[in-house]
Parts: sequence; C-alpha cells; structure tokens
Amino acid sequence: MIEFQHVFKSYGQGRNILADITFQVAAGEFVYVAGPSGAGKSTLLKLIGGLEAPSRGSIQVNGQRLEQLSARARPYLRRSVGVILQDTHLLFDRSVIENVLLPLTVTGLASSVARARARAALDKVGLSAKENAPPIELSGGEQQRLAIARAIVNRPAILIADEPTASLDRDTARRIMSVFKDFNRVGVTTVIASHDDELMAEYATRAFKIEPGKFADSAARRTAASATQPNSAHTGPQEPHLGGNV
Amino acid sequence: MKSLLRQHRYALLITVRRLLAQPISSLTNLLVIALALALPLLGASFLISLQPVARQVSVTPELTVFLKTDAPVGQAEQLARRIRQDHPDQTTQVRVVPKDRALADLRTNPAWEQALKVLPNNPLPDAIIVELAAGEDLASRADEMARSWRKWPGVDLVQLDSAWVQRLEALLRFGRIGLFLLALSVMLVVLATVFNTVRMQALSQREEIGVARLVGATEAFVRRPFLYLGALTCTLATLISIGIAHLTLSPLNDALASLARTYDSEFMLSLPSPLVLIVAVLCVAALGALSARWSVQRNTRF
Repeated sequence: MIEFQHVFKSYGQGRNILADITFQVAAGEFVYVAGPSGAGKSTLLKLIGGLEAPSRGSIQVNGQRLEQLSARARPYLRRSVGVILQDTHLLFDRSVIENVLLPLTVTGLASSVARARARAALDKVGLSAKENAPPIELSGGEQQRLAIARAIVNRPAILIADEPTASLDRDTARRIMSVFKDFNRVGVTTVIASHDDELMAEYATRAFKIEPGKFADSAARRTAASATQPNSAHTGPQEPHLGGNV
Repeated sequence: MKSLLRQHRYALLITVRRLLAQPISSLTNLLVIALALALPLLGASFLISLQPVARQVSVTPELTVFLKTDAPVGQAEQLARRIRQDHPDQTTQVRVVPKDRALADLRTNPAWEQALKVLPNNPLPDAIIVELAAGEDLASRADEMARSWRKWPGVDLVQLDSAWVQRLEALLRFGRIGLFLLALSVMLVVLATVFNTVRMQALSQREEIGVARLVGATEAFVRRPFLYLGALTCTLATLISIGIAHLTLSPLNDALASLARTYDSEFMLSLPSPLVLIVAVLCVAALGALSARWSVQRNTRF
C-alpha cells in the first residue's frame, strides 16, 4: 500500500530532514509515527500524501510511483489519500457541510449524491447536528472531527493525520482516535504522526520512530529513524526498516 | 461531461459569491473598467457615424468646369461632348449648366436677389458638371483630368468639388488610427485591472486554494473560478460601458440634431451595430479570462 525505498528529503541545499528511509506499510495497517519535533514526521506524512516530492529515492502509494507521477496526475492520487494536517485547514467562511462537500465537488460528483455522502461522513464523526453551523462555532475536538470527515468523505484507501490530538484533552483525544480506529477496522490504511506515545500505543498496530537527524555529509551520516512494534495484534506483512547508517 | 459541467457550475457560483462578498470593491473595479471601455466605444460611435457621410459623398465626386464669361454660345455643349468622348469609363454623367439658368437659380435665393438686381448683365459663366465614376485612385484621376481640362480653350477654372470629402476621409483615417491606439491603451488598462483583481482574490483565497489542492483538486479546478472572475468582470464592465456610451450619446445627439437642422440635414451619432457590440463583449470577456489566467498562474504558486 505504501512503500518507501531509500527516500531522502531536504529543502534547498539544507540538511536532510529525512535520510535513507525504507519501509513498507500493508493495506489495512494502523501505523503510528513517533519522534520529537523537527524529526521529520510531518514531512514523512506529506511525502505519503504526495504533498511534497522526495529529493531522492522512490515512493509508491496505492500502487503508483510518486516520482513517476506527472503534476497533472498528482491530484488524482491525493483523492485516494485522506489528509488531516496539524492545522485543520478548515474553511471558516463556509458551513460544516460545505467543508465536507469540497473533496466531492472537486471530483464533479452530482450534488444530491455528494450531499448524501457528506451527511454520512458527518454522521460517522458525530457532527450531523451541526452541518449548517460555521466551523468557528465548533470546539477544538469537533473541528478535528470535521477535518476527519472531510478527509474520509472521498472514501480514501489511506488516511494520514499529523498530530490530530495535539491540542485536545484526554477524553476528546480518545474519541478522535476511536474514529480513526473505526475507519481502520473497515480497511482504511491509517498513518498517524503524534507525540503521544501512550495514547498511540492503545490504537496503533505498529510504530515508526524518527530521531532528529544531523547534517548529512559524505563523512558522517545519520540515523534518520527506527521502527518499533508496540502492539503485536497486527504486524503487517513486512518489518519496517527506517534509515540505517546514512 | 456532466462532471465537467458541474465543476463549471460550481466555479461560476463561487465567482458570483466572491464578487458579492466584496460589493464595493467589485463595483469599483467594474466602473474603472467600464469607464475605460466607454472611451473607445464613444470613439467608434463617432467614426461609424461619420463614415457613411464621407462614403456617400465620396462615391459621387464632381468636377465643375467653369468657362470664360466671354466664351461663345455652344462651346459648353461642345466641351461636354468632348469630355464624354475622352473619358467614357471615368464619368457617369456630364451636364451643362448654362449661365442663364445659373443666374435664375441664384435669383431664387433671397440673399442674392437684391445684389443681382443691381448688376447690368449676367456675371456668371457657363458651367459643365462632371460626375466621376467611383473606383481605384479616384483622387489622383480627378486631379489629372482637372489639370488637362484647364488647358482647353475657353476654360477658365476647374474645381474639384470633393476635396473636402478627401480631407474628411484623411481625418477619419487619422481617427481610426487614433481609435486603434486608444483601444490598445484601454486593453492594457483592462489587462492590468483584471490581473490585479485576480491577484488580490488569489491572495485572499490562499487558504481555500491550499485546501482544494489538499483534497485532490486539479490546477484547472483551482484556476477556473478566477477565469470566470476575469471574464464575468469584463462582460459586466462592457455592458455597463455600452450603457454609459448610450447615455452620453443621447444629449450629444440632441445638440447635433439642432445643428443638422440648420443645414437642412439629419445626422445622428449611433453606437456600433448589436452584432459588433456582441463581438466586443465576447472579445473583452476573453481578454479578461486571459489576463486572469496569467495572473492566477503567477499568484497561486504556493
């Protein structure tokens, strides 16, 4: 489902944010990406979502090699990957349901079908009662659930989320994670980046750990990340290999 | 196909919503473009209205051959025959106006009646009026004929009656070039205004564009509302400019009608034909979309 082969990512001439990352995630896995701030968790998710291109290496998502994908084809890949970024990026000048409708509008789905699917998505995250409210009236947890509804309304094969529980209290964070788990149970491959090891250990079937990198040069290379497996319930088809002596 | 139509409908709705969200700003933009467009439109109205006047007269240019006052009786008829024989293809009508008839005509004019009464005899010469056939290089042919006839015995003066028409035509040619340059300048104003409007919109819609890309929107989907914005703004502005031009021509026509009546004539400034106006609206709309495309391509690279 997701495959990284010796992936490097740097910005401009700067240091490698990610260096020599290799792993595979099978369909239906629930993967948790751990690591301190600045380690490259968000970059890793953006690479999976096709929001960024790798500097080197090969990435395959949902059967498509990203480095071979043309700029015109990239949006179509994004429709198969539901993305929830750290900042929810909601449109505050539109209602709750209009936010959820946007991914369906870009595909040109008929209005009646789109509305029914948007309502179903809102129902799944428990926001049916607030479909006409502006997002500004929602609490932090509700806004996060709205972002999830928008990410899943297109029925993506993969769901990626960057720190979805960062600013939420424990109970709300658990409710959010349960929503992710529900989608994972029906086969949606889920990759979540988070600081909250304890919470993630309750839900994820597998974990990657990314350590902060060093400046990469030919003499001294760094370990970019390492994989762990906190939950033996679902091991996936292959052990992840992150980094190495890069 | 249906899906594409739905996307276009969405883009149009979003565009109208964005225009209505900032009514004052949208209206100001429309007025700026409309006023700029009204100038070449008024210029075109002047040219289009004057052109038939020049064309109507210039297709029947006349040469008048005045004989000497002491020319013998019958010489006018003789010269008229010669003109018909020498230039059968270049003349459409040759007629003689005897001096007695010219005097009689002049006497019907009250302004001349008293002055003519005191004259001991008829001071007018016999005249031959030659209507020239329209065709290529008319002005130079007329000049050549006039030069040749002046040398004939008994001829005092040959007058080219269409000289003023040639001047008017030259003036219209100048007007056409001026109008073209004005239209070009206005096009640049329209381009710049639409470019800037779209740039401001793109910056204010930055978040929305980012989210649309995040959920799989193609670049065409992102750009489409901006193209509609450019085309819609220009279409509305052109329609307003037609209204402005119409309102401006109204009082001008009232004033012109009074002036024309004193010449026992009718003259009116009118807008170009509906077909030309429709083509103008479409062209300006295309220009707006083009400018918007250029702007959105430059201002949504984030």
